[in-house]
Amino acid sequence: MSHHTAPADRPLGVGILGAGPVTQAIHLPALARLRDILEVRHIMDVDPAVASSVAARVGATSSTSMDALLGDHDVDIVAICSPHQFHADQVIAACRAGKKAVLCEKPFAMNAGEATRISAVSTETGVPIVVGAMHTFDPGWLAAEQNWGDLPEQVHTIRSSIVLPPNARFEDFATEIVTRPATGRPDYSDIDVIKAALQGGIMGLAIHDLPLVRRFTPDFADIEVLQVSHIRPFGYSVSLRTPTRVIELRAVMNGTWKPEWTFEAIADDSALRIDFTPSYVQAGSAVATFTCGNGSETTIFGPYGHNGYEGEWRELAELARGTRQAPSAQTLIDDLTFALAIADATVASAAAGHPDAAEKAGVSA
Amino acid sequence: MSAHYTVSATPDAREAGAVTQTVASLPATFGPAPAGHPGTADVLVIAGGPGWTAEACSAVSAGARGIVVANPVPEDTTELAAAADAAGTAVVLDLRWASNPALVGETPDAREAVRSALGTASLLDSVATAGPGTDPRRLLGEHLAALLAVTGALDGVGVLRSDATGYTVSGRLANGAPFTAQGVLTAARRSGVDIRLYTADGGVAIQVPDPDAAWPAEVRVTGTHGELFLPTLYESAHRSAWRRLKDHLSAGTRPDDLAGFARLTDLYATLAAT
Repeated sequence: MSHHTAPADRPLGVGILGAGPVTQAIHLPALARLRDILEVRHIMDVDPAVASSVAARVGATSSTSMDALLGDHDVDIVAICSPHQFHADQVIAACRAGKKAVLCEKPFAMNAGEATRISAVSTETGVPIVVGAMHTFDPGWLAAEQNWGDLPEQVHTIRSSIVLPPNARFEDFATEIVTRPATGRPDYSDIDVIKAALQGGIMGLAIHDLPLVRRFTPDFADIEVLQVSHIRPFGYSVSLRTPTRVIELRAVMNGTWKPEWTFEAIADDSALRIDFTPSYVQAGSAVATFTCGNGSETTIFGPYGHNGYEGEWRELAELARGTRQAPSAQTLIDDLTFALAIADATVASAAAGHPDAAEKAGVSA
Repeated sequence: MSAHYTVSATPDAREAGAVTQTVASLPATFGPAPAGHPGTADVLVIAGGPGWTAEACSAVSAGARGIVVANPVPEDTTELAAAADAAGTAVVLDLRWASNPALVGETPDAREAVRSALGTASLLDSVATAGPGTDPRRLLGEHLAALLAVTGALDGVGVLRSDATGYTVSGRLANGAPFTAQGVLTAARRSGVDIRLYTADGGVAIQVPDPDAAWPAEVRVTGTHGELFLPTLYESAHRSAWRRLKDHLSAGTRPDDLAGFARLTDLYATLAAT
């Protein structure tokens, strides 16, 4: 392991594993706004043409192997933006390579065993890990957190609703994409395709807000699925409850131009609503609105000038400089196991085989 | 000069239907019955609690020309409909949200927007909000009435949960797409119902307030054209119901409220059985 110290006045070096659309349209534009503190120095992708093309845009070194990036002494912070199944091993390798901080796109592991292994390595090496749950770094969310008092204990109903156009609409507002992955037309007559779509919906989309949901769900380990519907062309409607909370998750990705991304936590006498800006574009922070008195009293926080992606990079820089304390590994593990439990139960419900579940999932005509 | 009709309401009905102020907003057509002669009024107002259909049948028998039922609960209306038809009595239902003029009645209305979008619907997601202590089953009836007003039909409806904080109901639209209806009991927000229909390229968003003021419902239609905000109507559900009664009394026609309400009653009965 080889910790090296960057001069305080020199930007920290960033290396990114995986140069797909998320790297191109989210992380590079966010980092371009932070050039005084962070500098992209190494881009790795298994496709050499993509790696070199994306690296050239930011004047970085390119490679096609993780080892090359982790061996690059100019890289202080490693961002893992590869396919989900590689996350755990790459996080561990980055920690062992002695980097100063690691950002892992969500989910940072695919099961609780991997999560525990990562946590142990992080503790052993002292390398802080940040999971890219960008909404938890959004200034609108953070302002809500500072002002919600005892709302998390009082809430009885939680809703996450995500309505988005296809990613390409906002990717194209953010950058000029190199080599967009091909998308097929799913065969929704196949229950396995629906199960995969629901799994992807929870672990790829709902997971953005599940850490927020969990903050308002003290009994999150005791979750029950009430209903699951697959939404075409892509989305889900999932009703959950714990002994003390009702949780409704909705997502629709259709051909609309109008994004709406809301999180709501509702108690008897007060409620919080957060309206998030769409991913990819630098459209500022979420707006958090507290209401009480039958809607007659409203307190609003935001919008602020940057979004959660930029927020997570700012935090990574502070972690790497040692000016901020690392997030709790247990929080990351709990967030992951909560998401996995919901994903597993959602898929099991859709696959339960009873006619109602199958019909709602769009299996039978 | 148009006809003028006298109105009589029980205290419960007067409160449930905001009758005094609503009738006062149609002064050329309606006015209070002379004190001491409530039974001879042209229009009788009935509170829509359990047993309202029997009370309405009695009003028909007593010779009422018009009947307004304030916020009725689901009940079998077969006998009442037959009696009203035979006597030529106009029965208008003043429904908490479904009678809002933005949902049904004016053109363009939410019903037209929703029905023209149902073919490509992928999800209908609706949330009704009311104060803590509200009877969830009664709220569900009001909620389903609003949904039926704009969709026309809901299939495979089932109650997933119902408790002191609200309910969740799910089912399918005519094209097989899922719908969910959630009731949330809270004093944090203004009471009302929110209906979101999502389609292949946009959808319809409807927000209907309570009828205790003339704040307008908001209906937005999103598509490739952008977003169309339908004209706002600063008229409460109460006044809209009374204006329909005026139109029917003037024209000598009979409203189809009871026939439409039978769909809600049938649906509600299936839920009660589950």
